[in-house]
Amino acid sequence: MPFEAVIGLEIHVEMKTKSKMFSSGPVSFGDLPNTKINPVDMAFPGTMPVVNKQAVINAIRVSHALNMTIDHELWFDRKNYFYSDLPKGYQITQQFRPIGSLGYLDIKTAEGLKRIRVERLHMEEDTCKQLHSWDCSLLDYNRAGIPLIEIVSMPDMRNGEEAMKYVEKIRSIVTFLDVSDGKMEEGSLRCDVNISIREAGSDKFGTKVEIKNLNSIANIQKAIDFEMKRQEQVILSGGVVTQETRRFDEASKETVLMRVKTDSVDYKYFTDPNLPPIRLSDEFVDEAIRTSPELADSKYKRYESLGLSEYDINQLLQDCGISSYFDEALKSGASPKLLANWVIVDVQAILNKEDISIKEFKISPLHLGELVKIIEEGKVSNKQAREIFTEMLKIDESPNELMKKMGTSMISDEEAIKAMVNEVIDANPQSVIDYKNGKDRAVGFLVGQIMKKSQGKVNPALTNKLVVEELKRR
Amino acid sequence: MGYLHLSITELHELLKKGEVTPLDLVKEAIDKMKADNNNAFEYIMEKEALEQASLLTKCEEDNPLWGIPFGIKDNYSTKDVPTCGSSDILKGYVPIFSSEVYQRLINKHAIPVAKTTLDELAMGGSGTTGHLGKTYNPWDKSHKHQVGGSSCGSAAMVSAGIVPFSIGSDTGDSVRKPASYNALVGFKPSWGRISRFGLFPFATSLDHVAYFTRNVEDSAILLNVLAGRDDKDSSSSFKEVEDYTLNLNKDVKGKKLAVIKEIVDSIDNKDIINAFNSSVEKLRASGVIIDYVHMDLSLLKAIYPAYIVISCAEATSNNANLDGIKFGQREDGDTYQEVIMKTRTNGFSELIRRRFIIGSYSLLKENQNELFLRAQKARRLIVNATNDILKEYDGIYCPASPSVAPLFVGSSDKLSNEYLIADNYLAIGNFAGLPSITIPLGFSEKLPFGVNLTCKAFEESNTFNLASKIEEVIGIKNIIAKEGE
Repeated sequence: MPFEAVIGLEIHVEMKTKSKMFSSGPVSFGDLPNTKINPVDMAFPGTMPVVNKQAVINAIRVSHALNMTIDHELWFDRKNYFYSDLPKGYQITQQFRPIGSLGYLDIKTAEGLKRIRVERLHMEEDTCKQLHSWDCSLLDYNRAGIPLIEIVSMPDMRNGEEAMKYVEKIRSIVTFLDVSDGKMEEGSLRCDVNISIREAGSDKFGTKVEIKNLNSIANIQKAIDFEMKRQEQVILSGGVVTQETRRFDEASKETVLMRVKTDSVDYKYFTDPNLPPIRLSDEFVDEAIRTSPELADSKYKRYESLGLSEYDINQLLQDCGISSYFDEALKSGASPKLLANWVIVDVQAILNKEDISIKEFKISPLHLGELVKIIEEGKVSNKQAREIFTEMLKIDESPNELMKKMGTSMISDEEAIKAMVNEVIDANPQSVIDYKNGKDRAVGFLVGQIMKKSQGKVNPALTNKLVVEELKRR
Repeated sequence: MGYLHLSITELHELLKKGEVTPLDLVKEAIDKMKADNNNAFEYIMEKEALEQASLLTKCEEDNPLWGIPFGIKDNYSTKDVPTCGSSDILKGYVPIFSSEVYQRLINKHAIPVAKTTLDELAMGGSGTTGHLGKTYNPWDKSHKHQVGGSSCGSAAMVSAGIVPFSIGSDTGDSVRKPASYNALVGFKPSWGRISRFGLFPFATSLDHVAYFTRNVEDSAILLNVLAGRDDKDSSSSFKEVEDYTLNLNKDVKGKKLAVIKEIVDSIDNKDIINAFNSSVEKLRASGVIIDYVHMDLSLLKAIYPAYIVISCAEATSNNANLDGIKFGQREDGDTYQEVIMKTRTNGFSELIRRRFIIGSYSLLKENQNELFLRAQKARRLIVNATNDILKEYDGIYCPASPSVAPLFVGSSDKLSNEYLIADNYLAIGNFAGLPSITIPLGFSEKLPFGVNLTCKAFEESNTFNLASKIEEVIGIKNIIAKEGE
């Protein structure tokens, strides 16, 4: 009996707005505990929520990217429950009228494009962070009130790969829209998986299990693969899958029972009377969409038209920051292909080596573009370019200036090179014989000698050409 | 006898002339508070007020609040001044920020001299449920009658002649009812007219900043300072603010008032009815058109149940932040559940816990339709019926209470089956967010009672104009309890 999985995902995205969802407290990550808070975040009596405009703009943009219907009236509701990480004793969310509803996302699978429907997108606020030790719990309110977007998919995914692709795509959207860092490892993108299995082709749903604590995209796939097998085994051995919440255990690569779900909690939702409905004008919504940063899909098409290979495009689009860097560097007028190569290979190598993000990379995109341009113009050799590049990592200066300062401009003067060619061939008569006997590597040897002699300053292509000409003549 | 029996405008004249200084006034207020035996204060701001007053040396002639002492209900957040909402759960809580109302008054150099008592967290109407016990009515030296609530301390303070005005809050009638029991003017504006930032929420959709004065003009003067948009309160209105003192004592000829017959008919105190009828005649003689209109009795009877369901539901959520984890009193426990449960069980009185349970119950999934949403529907119908009347009339004019201040004995703030339309109808003003003002109307066995005028939303100017005429024809203003003895 073949089984298939029915998978739906709930994704929480932490926004990197300047201030919090309902307060002017700053949004920041990694600061000293309880230093980025204000009275609203700690729910001091008498404080009131004020909706963050940028958060709304972000939610509109993500909704649009997910092809959703956007509600032009903002409603907020209270989700009431007591918990030590919940300052107000309720969370402000959008239960009854999410800002985005009924959209979809197309993902690339082995079998081609697959459409995953997205049920809803709503805004809400984060809770405070808890640190539990053996004798006490510590609370950090820096996180309390940070804006969240929750994106709920329909149960349209059938295996771990699809789920992974879906999350990758959501991550790409929220990072390219500059809404979030989208770092699963740091919790700025969190994913809960709802999964059940059934006989392949059936239209009934099995009992749903929720998986939490997934801190990387790869783990989503691993967790789902494991959980599919586990549920299969339960059923095949005559058991019944129980409705429960499980967590993914990194070490054993297994899902582990957290709690069995009994009756679901009654959150006593009602519309927050502190936030009367806010009407969004068509102009406001349109403007938010019109000024939205470019998505990866659109960049893909643009890069294709620039003649970049699929490999290069995918490399550039893996990180929103890298592609933005590339776009900036393009403005220098450098050739896209050579530039892409430098970004993907040389720049990336430095990022990996120094373990930094592109934002911390020292060479400005325009300077890198300039460097690529003088390579193309034959002003410097590749070797010289690397030297300049290394220098630029120390001081981000214009490569044209550095070239002059370092005296690394390339010798492209034919007569000067010819003189060196003759000199070297004269000194190595054996190579002429080798060449006549069909040993082409003699050319390489001679070019190498000339390079050495000129301290790498000759134009290699030109030198090569002149060596071959001279050998033929002799 | 000092100066503080005088009105804001009278005191301002004296301050301008230099006949009295802010320091004199504050000292007088402090002496009076110390001598007072009505249990009206959570905290007397002696040091703070003296310090403020001594800094005020040059009278701002166009600022009527300069140097005027006032009291403020202890459910307004006041920076560096203890604020507990008359509840044990917030004992020792000292806010780190000020409510907008308090800040605006301070900016005008009015001087806060006391945080006043209230029914615990503003839930109640008797002035008996605060953690310091009963607050007494200055009009009744025998301490047998209530002062009314929930803004009990603020009412007592003004009617005892300690300050010319005080800030309260009004969710059902918590200023306008005690005003009736204390011969005061009690006013609440339209919902959204005054920022509620820093007011401890009881029932957000019904809560209003409201206040007591001894005459209508002072009430208008205060609104000039307090009204206006505040970006910290999303529910505060962008509507332009007027000069509310400009329109006082204008001609009211041709203005139309509606008396709701069902409300008046539910009152059996002859003194109240006679005084009310006499005021109607006088107003008619001044050219006001007054009609007796009908309102569906079932709607009037639905006011209180709808109010209880909505206010308790909102209250249970609004007060969920009081869990002992972040501020206020905390009881120890092994788990967070234990901490929260113990803190809330010990911190709230039984009456409050009952309200939370009612509110919680009405929000449960299986009950929400039948209780919470049904109450919202009832509210909508009541609002519609009220607005229908106000389409044809400038205001609704009825006695503010069916009696003088009730006796402590035999009445309680527990929810009961006893029901009187005239005792609960003022919540209409909260349901619909209308400007509503109580004005002294008369005395019955030496205890005061008032009359109420409720007008169209954001027609505060018209409200004050009509109110000042009503005040004039009735002829009771600027009195304090001592004179009434």
